[in-house]
Amino acid sequence: MNVGTAHSEVNPNTRVMNSRGMWLSYTLSIGLLHLILLSIPFVSVPVVWTLTNMIHNLCMYLLLHTVKGTPFQTPDQGKARLLTHWEQMDYGVQFTASRKFLTVTPIVLYLLTSFYTKYDRVHFVVNTVSLLTVLIPKLPQLHGVRIFGINKY
Amino acid sequence: MARSANGSGLKQLNHSGMKWDDSGKNGYHRITTEKLGAGISTASRQNKQESFEQAPMYVAVCTYMGFGIVTLFGYFRDFLRAVGLEKCNLAQEREEQKDFVPLYQDFENFYTRNLYMRVRDNWNRPICSLPGPVFDLMERVSDDYNWTFRFTGRTIPNVINMGSYNYLGFAENNADFLKTVADKVQQYGAGVCSTRQEIGNLSIHEELEQLVANFLGVESAMTYGMGFATNSMNIPALVGKGCLILSDELNHTSLILGARLSGATIRVFKHNNMHSLEKMLKEAICCGQPRTHRAWRKILIMVEGIYSMEGSVVRLPEVIALKKKYKAHLYLDEAHSIGAVGATGRGVTELFHVNPADVDVMMGTFTKSFGASGGYIAGKKELVDYLRSHSHSAVYASAMSPPVTEQIIRAIKCIMGKDGTTEGIRRIRQLAENTRYFRARLKEMGFIIYGNDDSPVIPVLLYMPGKVVAFAREMLQRKIGVVVVGFPATPITEARARFCLSAAHTRAMLNQVLQHLNEVGDLLCLKFSRRKRPSSLDLCEETDFGLDS
Repeated sequence: MNVGTAHSEVNPNTRVMNSRGMWLSYTLSIGLLHLILLSIPFVSVPVVWTLTNMIHNLCMYLLLHTVKGTPFQTPDQGKARLLTHWEQMDYGVQFTASRKFLTVTPIVLYLLTSFYTKYDRVHFVVNTVSLLTVLIPKLPQLHGVRIFGINKY
Repeated sequence: MARSANGSGLKQLNHSGMKWDDSGKNGYHRITTEKLGAGISTASRQNKQESFEQAPMYVAVCTYMGFGIVTLFGYFRDFLRAVGLEKCNLAQEREEQKDFVPLYQDFENFYTRNLYMRVRDNWNRPICSLPGPVFDLMERVSDDYNWTFRFTGRTIPNVINMGSYNYLGFAENNADFLKTVADKVQQYGAGVCSTRQEIGNLSIHEELEQLVANFLGVESAMTYGMGFATNSMNIPALVGKGCLILSDELNHTSLILGARLSGATIRVFKHNNMHSLEKMLKEAICCGQPRTHRAWRKILIMVEGIYSMEGSVVRLPEVIALKKKYKAHLYLDEAHSIGAVGATGRGVTELFHVNPADVDVMMGTFTKSFGASGGYIAGKKELVDYLRSHSHSAVYASAMSPPVTEQIIRAIKCIMGKDGTTEGIRRIRQLAENTRYFRARLKEMGFIIYGNDDSPVIPVLLYMPGKVVAFAREMLQRKIGVVVVGFPATPITEARARFCLSAAHTRAMLNQVLQHLNEVGDLLCLKFSRRKRPSSLDLCEETDFGLDS
């Protein structure tokens, strides 16, 4: 039961992305990552942007689309145990504000990266593949879908 | 109090044609304006508003950073445990069963093993005296970072207790006060060993129920042995399939469990938000049940008097106006507000000058203000007679034990003044004064506190996980015991420390607590409030012109 809780929310994970200041913290942390990468000597600006894009997309894929369940026990008898964080957000309601924001941010980052890498071919391929790994799982048609049984249990 | 809580409530009372003591209220205001000028009376009316101030944005960002760092370290520690560099203290699969379907879901206790275990010396602290205004704690230390504890054998004496629900100070060991309880144990024994419906209906239970009904101003009441079970076992008797329950967002677990057990449809409205409630009522009446569109058999609005984690008070006049307009029923859970608010301790109905007959089901517990255990449901005679035969508690749960019953009887008699002393009313006034003083001083110091100015439950917002822990430990070092709550029990950005005031706290104790709070607040940078703070001069005048009970 929700014993000792200050709310009647069954799964607190669903509301985390809507909390106050989360979007700002997310944007600031991307900025921080970029600054850290820029501080590495002997690495050129296009490479830094591609690295930012790739590391951001990798972390997003791992945290939102790979890790399943909740880090705490919930009173919903395990309904969310097999769901990734993206699928848990807002109890599965599609096209909420947070979902739209998290879909738009990798796209904006991709556009910036394309600009700063001067549309070089190799960088383009790498960045596009990286963007697709993060955009395709967010499609509503792929809600709960596990391709080839990867990450099912 | 002769004033009502908020301006808009007054207008709705007028529209629905309810009467209340008009002349007394107007007379009071005239006196204050004569004595102290118009400024103070408007300031005191504003005092009754509830505040849920938001902290600056940097606080939220730092909170997320804190959780992020702790999560990263959690993953790192898990990696070390998997590799074998760190000892694993958790339950693990046996070697020969490692290939079976896993028995333990590792990720589900990520939070417990990586966050909670590191800091769990702040919860479940064993106490070894009665939980009065001061108590003794058993000193315990841990050699392996809180995985196991051992007692050193010493006690920490005279820790000021800011966590117990001891609102009227009845958690006391006074031989005179408890004499009647001891007599009843001699007369009736310690336990009842039966349910109310079988042979457990003692005359002392009848006496208690009569007294509770008188106290609340209703026709009849029924009492149960356990407060939680009062909600969870009686709501299924009142509503069932085909009924609609509109429950507040922050309702207690017992109400949620009772609602789920009943099989009714549950819809949640935003906390204390009358627009949300009205929208849901309109939609329920227009659209009816989900697929068949038949009318709902019953619509029950479930609210609490004081919400224990927020300190906010329900907007009772507005809820009653809505209930009358849309012909719904109202279930009011006064677990924290009975005995603690209102001029003579009758709860939120008295606080808002509402006729108790307007609330269909009045529920409350004896655990908080009466120093006993158990709960009651009160209302019209037909309702209570129905519950006597249909309630699950009455049929299956054992009846309240006689010494506990006598403790409640003597506490209620003390509050009502029937024992011939003014002790009860003194305690209620002391609690009201303590509440006002403490809240005003906290606001003046610059802490963000939630809730209504009348409620003795005071959450002080701490926000960041590290500060929550540091606060609890620092206060214990200064011999003050506080209750802190963090995520996931609260929303992620609203970790808090909850202070519960008591009539047994003296002004000296409160001053000591406030002084230490001030120092800890400066040490940990907890004073986030951006409001204009009232100066000490206003404060003195406010508490000087006396209590307006």
